Amino acid sequence: MAAEAVLVARLRANDQAAFRELVRARHGRLLRLAGAFCRNRASAEEVVQETWLAVITGLHGFSGEAPLAAWINGILVNKAKTRAVRDGRMVNFSDLARQESEGDAFEPERFLPDGHWAEQHRPWDALTPEREAGDRELLAGVGEALDKLPPAQRAVVLLRDVEGLESPAICQALGISDANLRVLLHRARVKLRDAADRMVRG
Amino acid sequence: MLTCHQVAEEATEYMEGAGARTRRLRVWAHLRVCPNCREYLRQLSRTIGLARRALAPPPAAEVEDELAAIFAAHGKGAAE
Ligand SMILES: [Zn+2]
Repeated sequence: MAAEAVLVARLRANDQAAFRELVRARHGRLLRLAGAFCRNRASAEEVVQETWLAVITGLHGFSGEAPLAAWINGILVNKAKTRAVRDGRMVNFSDLARQESEGDAFEPERFLPDGHWAEQHRPWDALTPEREAGDRELLAGVGEALDKLPPAQRAVVLLRDVEGLESPAICQALGISDANLRVLLHRARVKLRDAADRMVRG
Repeated sequence: MLTCHQVAEEATEYMEGAGARTRRLRVWAHLRVCPNCREYLRQLSRTIGLARRALAPPPAAEVEDELAAIFAAHGKGAAE
């Protein structure tokens, strides 16, 4: 938090290098999050651009109560929703939630008829704490797996697991129920775990 | 006893501390005796850590430059 206070002070003092640091740290993640709300890449890019403009003009009003990243994410989600309304296509996450919750979370063949796993989960011994924190290829691969999720699953897992929002705030932002949220989160995590399992074993 | 399939379906609910207490207890009882499900839940939970650290491509140089220029211009405007 102390490092963040320093960064905010530098930004308020119009420190260019600090701003570039912030853009490098957050831009890709913002684009990823915007992608869950927007129909195409171009509108996601515009939403992120609008978000940065709001950050630049709003920086002096930033209270510091929430972390900077959370404040920026909140701006982005609002911009993305406003934009969707303006484009006449409100993203209806509760409809998406219904669609994305259809069918089985697991392919039936992953379990035996008696309900036992058909597969043996071997421990991720190859995933050392060092790799977990710093294996750029693995962590970029997890990012790509996030980008491949269906939009409502992606929005939920990005807000909950990647950005660390609390569930009630996510339900409110997306207009979905708590039950919707858990189903979407589960399906997203199951897919990400499978992707990670393949990458960890290489 | 719940099956592995049922435990797998309820893993997120269990990890989030949601759901009825009796149900949670049944998942817990299964995990106690099933190393395969224990490992699966451990991997799900480590996946959350990986998602948090997932990398995103950095902004294109021209995008960064454009934003930095707007930031600089706004700073000048505010200082005047
Ligand atoms: Zn089991």
